[in-house]
Amino acid sequence: MGDDSPLTSKSPPPPSTPPPVSIPKSASQCMTPSEISTHVQFMREALSMADLALQTSETPVGCVFVHRGRIIGRGMNATNRTRNGTRHAEFLALDEIMRARDGKKPRYAPETLRECDLYVTVEPCIMCASLLRQVGIRKVFFGAANEKFGGTGGVLSIHVGNGRKAGDGVEGVEVEGGEEWERWHRDDYEVSGGWLREEAIVLLRRFYVQENDRAPEPRSKKDRVLKLEVEPMGEEGKMGDGSAS
Amino acid sequence: MDYESAAGNKSRLVPLKTTLEVETRDRVINVYVNAIPVKQASNALSIIRRLIPNDGGLDLQHLRRFVKYDDAPPHVRASISETRSLVTPGPENETPKELIFIAGSVDSISKESLIEGLSSISNPVCICSIQVPLLAPTSHEQAAFWTSRYWPTVYKKSNPFGPHPSIVSRAEEDINEDVEKWMALADGAAQEARATGSGEDIGVVIVTRKNGIARPVAIAGDARWLDWPHSSRGNVAAHATLRAIAMVADGLRARDEDQQGVSDITIPADTGIFRDQPRMPTEQCRSPIDDDGYLCHDLEIYCTHEPCVMCSMAIVHSRFGRVVFRRRMPSTGGLCSDGELGHGLFWRKELNWTLLAWHWSSGTDSIGTCGVESDLHA
Ligand SMILES: [Zn+2]
Ligand SMILES: [Zn+2]
Ligand SMILES: [Zn+2]
Repeated sequence: MGDDSPLTSKSPPPPSTPPPVSIPKSASQCMTPSEISTHVQFMREALSMADLALQTSETPVGCVFVHRGRIIGRGMNATNRTRNGTRHAEFLALDEIMRARDGKKPRYAPETLRECDLYVTVEPCIMCASLLRQVGIRKVFFGAANEKFGGTGGVLSIHVGNGRKAGDGVEGVEVEGGEEWERWHRDDYEVSGGWLREEAIVLLRRFYVQENDRAPEPRSKKDRVLKLEVEPMGEEGKMGDGSAS
Repeated sequence: MDYESAAGNKSRLVPLKTTLEVETRDRVINVYVNAIPVKQASNALSIIRRLIPNDGGLDLQHLRRFVKYDDAPPHVRASISETRSLVTPGPENETPKELIFIAGSVDSISKESLIEGLSSISNPVCICSIQVPLLAPTSHEQAAFWTSRYWPTVYKKSNPFGPHPSIVSRAEEDINEDVEKWMALADGAAQEARATGSGEDIGVVIVTRKNGIARPVAIAGDARWLDWPHSSRGNVAAHATLRAIAMVADGLRARDEDQQGVSDITIPADTGIFRDQPRMPTEQCRSPIDDDGYLCHDLEIYCTHEPCVMCSMAIVHSRFGRVVFRRRMPSTGGLCSDGELGHGLFWRKELNWTLLAWHWSSGTDSIGTCGVESDLHA
């Protein structure tokens, strides 16, 4: 990123006030300040992975897996570099975790993932939401919502009952905790969106400007202007462009 | 594994229904129908056009407007004659040459104004209300079913809720040529995965088709148990579909390295979760990738089992053109719209990519999942 970046030309906030940080509305009501600052800190680590992706011309989406308060894996989107449209940040981070060795022995068993939380800058897509379900993730924190591909509320809700639509008369026989209910819900995970969503969106916008400039036939000047204002957040952060998450 | 085809059962391609097709296929509305003498047909139509302009905004093009009395479904004839006996008590006095016609939806006009409007052409007016399908059928079979159940319905070879039928049938001409061959290859990879203990009895083959010539570009068996503890549920990233997609990507990278002399792309070895390298004898398939290939754009993928939600979305992300699978996975599959999940990922308008999808069905294998547990994620 060059020095002419509009981001750096913005004057920093006065030192006395902490920088404004976007967190989900629900978090400020039911979490302690120290819990919030822990989540924000991990999300910053995810954002720095997204920033790394941007520097290598990948869609800037990044993530970290946290186990017992410690980051055990980091990932960034790598679909361009690998020519593989499925190499999303979540896969790369899991690969790092399972590659870790103590001597010749794998450092982490697959069961470790059942005690992990994921912090990812953009809502996991349907593919990754299913991956996370199948590995048994505990909780997912994300930044911007993904209206085009989102698998944890954006398009489908894979994190609850594998996205199966309730109703059709089946819900009646499924007593919560019963055998049939358990079959559908044992791998459900919690999701919390809107953590540092503005930062996640700004990275994505910078990517689209950068890629347009790279294209042999640049699009119209208007498209290349970097939009830094971010629409106010609804219930969750909303971002339509996060394809590679 | 393939006892069905060995037994000589002929399999056929059954196009998957989209989520919209499934959601709308049974929607019906109530309409008024009326019996009139044949010679009054055009008068009836002009009266209706005046009473209910533009059919009240309803598209009834897929329904026959007039039906000969004898061609109407029995339950419609029964309603008409019951109404008639109420209006004119006494012996049956129906004229031999009669038509039954759809006047309009019950929401678009009151029964009283309809009777008044039609009294000039038929006396007494015998109106009753019946159910008809609201939307156009998307196949011959559906039209035939609706014709007998509701009212004569016309299939116009169009599908507002999915791929155009002519595109689907043209693709079927291609695929019918060699689907058996690709499925046999996928079965081979599946059997090998199972026999060696490296994975479940699941396999896929990726095929490129250019100028009428098809050839495989990647063959992969499931590898979820390869270098992975059996205490877990297996390596999710080693599903056959993800492995095959990665093999295509390997080919693309090799091509780009040749073309641009790029060689700084280092991809970590298969020690983490990825099992991208061909392992089994059947997986050795190094056909060159097309020069203009981008991801798996417009390639075809043949799967022994309906892919799980993750793999189905991987197919969408990779921009495949066609997917064919052998066995449905009703509780875990991501492609079908009429399974337990109902995601229909091959054709959803919200996603930025749609493709054609078929169940290659032998009729007998739709129930069993053959070789794997029914709640397994393929
Ligand atoms: Zn993803
Ligand atoms: Zn079999
Ligand atoms: Zn799968």
